[in-house]
Amino acid sequence: MVVLAILLPILFGLLLLLGLPRALGVLGAGLSFLMNLYLFLTHPGGVAHGVQAPLLPGAGVYWAFALDGLSALFFLTIGLTVFLGALVAKVEGRFLGLALLMSGLLLGLFAARDLLVFYLFFEAALIPALLMLLFYGGERRLRAIYTFLLFTLAGSLPMLAAILAVKALGGSPTFLLEDLLAHPVKGQAAFWVFLGFALAFAIKTPLFPVHAWLPLFHQENHPSGLADALGTLYKVGVFAFFRFAIPLAPEGFYELQGLLLFLAAISALYGAWVAFSAKDFKTLLAYAGVSHMGVAALGVFSGTPEGALGGLYLLAASGVYTGGLFLLAGRLYERLHTLEIGRYRGLAASAPGLAALALFLFLAMVGLPGLSGFPGELMTLLGAYKASPWLTAIAFLSVIAGAAYALTAFQKVFWEEGQREAEDLKGAEWPFAALTVAALVLMGVFPGFFIKGLQPLAEAFARILGGGA
Amino acid sequence: MTLLVLGFFSVALTLLGFFVPVPLFKRLTLLGLALAVLTLLLTWGKPFAFGPYGVDGISQTFTLLTLVGALWTVGLVRTRRFEFYLLVLYAATGMHLLASTQNLILMLVALEALSLPLYALATWRRGEGLEAALKYFLLGALAAAFFLYGTALHYGATGSLLAGTPGKGPLYALALGLLLVGLGFKVALAPFHFWTPDVYQGSPTPVVLFMATGVKAAAFAALLRVVAPGAPEALSLLIALSVLIGNLAALTQKEAKRLLAYSSIAHAGYMALALYTGNLEALGFYLLTYVLATGLAFAVLSEVSPDRVPLERLKGLFHRDPLLGLALFVAALSLLGLPPLGGFWGKYLVFTEAAKAGQWGLLILALLTSVVSAYYYLSLGLAVFQKGEAAAAPRPLARGVALLAALALLLLGFLPGIVLPALAQGG
Repeated sequence: MVVLAILLPILFGLLLLLGLPRALGVLGAGLSFLMNLYLFLTHPGGVAHGVQAPLLPGAGVYWAFALDGLSALFFLTIGLTVFLGALVAKVEGRFLGLALLMSGLLLGLFAARDLLVFYLFFEAALIPALLMLLFYGGERRLRAIYTFLLFTLAGSLPMLAAILAVKALGGSPTFLLEDLLAHPVKGQAAFWVFLGFALAFAIKTPLFPVHAWLPLFHQENHPSGLADALGTLYKVGVFAFFRFAIPLAPEGFYELQGLLLFLAAISALYGAWVAFSAKDFKTLLAYAGVSHMGVAALGVFSGTPEGALGGLYLLAASGVYTGGLFLLAGRLYERLHTLEIGRYRGLAASAPGLAALALFLFLAMVGLPGLSGFPGELMTLLGAYKASPWLTAIAFLSVIAGAAYALTAFQKVFWEEGQREAEDLKGAEWPFAALTVAALVLMGVFPGFFIKGLQPLAEAFARILGGGA
Repeated sequence: MTLLVLGFFSVALTLLGFFVPVPLFKRLTLLGLALAVLTLLLTWGKPFAFGPYGVDGISQTFTLLTLVGALWTVGLVRTRRFEFYLLVLYAATGMHLLASTQNLILMLVALEALSLPLYALATWRRGEGLEAALKYFLLGALAAAFFLYGTALHYGATGSLLAGTPGKGPLYALALGLLLVGLGFKVALAPFHFWTPDVYQGSPTPVVLFMATGVKAAAFAALLRVVAPGAPEALSLLIALSVLIGNLAALTQKEAKRLLAYSSIAHAGYMALALYTGNLEALGFYLLTYVLATGLAFAVLSEVSPDRVPLERLKGLFHRDPLLGLALFVAALSLLGLPPLGGFWGKYLVFTEAAKAGQWGLLILALLTSVVSAYYYLSLGLAVFQKGEAAAAPRPLARGVALLAALALLLLGFLPGIVLPALAQGG
């Protein structure tokens, strides 16, 4: 089942690259979404639908995939975001093909139960992202690519070293997650192993100060926002910290916990601050992403069950609302051919539907109770407070700052005096808006439903860390 | 069997060459090489010995790799003179012999048998090629002399001409060192690499493909026999120098063939990591992905121009011919060792061997330098997507082979397991 869910978008992606018409790509994205929804709804709890086949015989590497509550939730959000993107983004079939390919690789990444396979997908997902930027990017795309790749490669190398070291030093016979968890790395070595992981995942979170690749990456990507929405989903750092880095080398984590908490809080505040002064819609969203990921990371680094739960939920939810906002930015660009916030002005009069959708997305982003951002933020801050009240207070400022930048942007785009007019929602944008709003509300009103699969994982996580910091 | 096939075709075609038209001759050469591959696969995993000539896992694995290189070269080249094909065939025979003997004297003979045709091939284009070939020839002769000296000392130290005879004492160390120099020249390990950039740049591209793939595979087979039982300490110095010089020098190159020449020095260094444990699986897999990726890169370059290929000239290739552009991109990423391409597993396997041998310093150096290599491989791989006017005269055969190799690299990336058992069985 899970393999099928991973292969489905990959297959459609490849067919689209070979010239399948775009409409069938949308169908593929829809099928993939339905399949992921089905998997999520029927997920029995615990680890399900597992498969395992040898990849490198003798070296202990297995093609191992399975769903647990966490990956099932990410399956759902990935399926939804990609489907929404396929629905509205006016892009070529091949672009959509790359997007589907990437979504399949991301599914593989979230379902991987073997550390080396996780690494394989982690790196493989780079390639479609790279190609999207390369073929459909803006003027300065080569610079964006170099920055992006050099940062990523600089991270993946210590990670590969850490992966090899985890197995060698922990004494596990295979790279399977269960085996590795049964043989955690101890002592001084744990510090270095964790450091290796932390470097790679901090870049992918992205944590301050290794976030530098992100803004350029978003600015130079195709204005439709599809690549950016996927880029949002690719921020797997928090997830990887939770699933691999911390449980595999808890002793190393303790030594760095203070620093990581500090960096997470700084990221949250710094991101919000830069977002506030951003002139361009995508830059704003990129830095808002840095800020949100900072909060999410804070939750996981707190080592408490609530914090981890909140952080992961925020990660999943932000995939939906940040992704939605990027797609919205794409819609605006298509209408007005600009991404500069100051040049939109007063669109609400002519496009009330668009304004309402944007309001929902922005409010979800600032964490209005009842929408998807709130439960995650609340739990994160509750958990983080136990670990470090001061840093939590700093991070909390970012939530207030978030309200400031998001509402200012909204006000400028839709209410400011001016005579720009834009076409309202049309065609496929209606189902896009309806689905997005439904997802935001559902995730905000029934967080329990989405979280129940995460609960045991978060508790197990906290247990590994000795019940909290 | 394989030797018989290759030998038969070499002799028969030498005679036929004067009577048969060249296009047919090319096909006959291809047929001979293909038959050799077939006999190889039919006898896979079945050792066989006849005097000093012995077919075993090492021989089969590396012969297969050299034959792939030879097939590729013959398929790619455009020439109206039959001697070219003949020379490739002779060289392939020599390579097979080199991979299939433990006897040092026979190795020397094989080494010369494969080198002489290559000296001639390097001069295929007159003018600039002549200087390159002269350099190649002089240094090659010197290397052969070193190898001969090493052989003599080896006999003196151990009383045996069999490679890999254990021994001790300064004489033995010196013998191994000299043998290492002789073979190090052939695989372009630093500091015996000086000929590489000039020869690669000066020789016709299909010939360079053959040098980069076939010669390397055959010489590594010999290295595996000579070095594996007790790697001399000098080896770690050679590896360190190779990965450093190869990668750093490649950074500044603006010409694709020179760039690949320096990168081949670096790759020789990475491959040599597997010599410590003598793991055939790791070395074989690395060479397989290397042969595919390098062959692919040179195949694309030879489509762009038979001559020099400054990176500038690659610009726009993707827009002109998406298949070739993507093929070069895939080749560059695989050489870089980016998952999920085959090159990643190659690097993974040899790095694991280095770890098993406890060579932590070398391992860290190798990891760091492979990050450095990202820069130049990307500039090579991404050049094809930039705006520009690349010339390409695509031919169906070359495109088909390029597609096949690119797909193989992808396949090996996702399913490295499909060839490893075969390699393990061979060893």
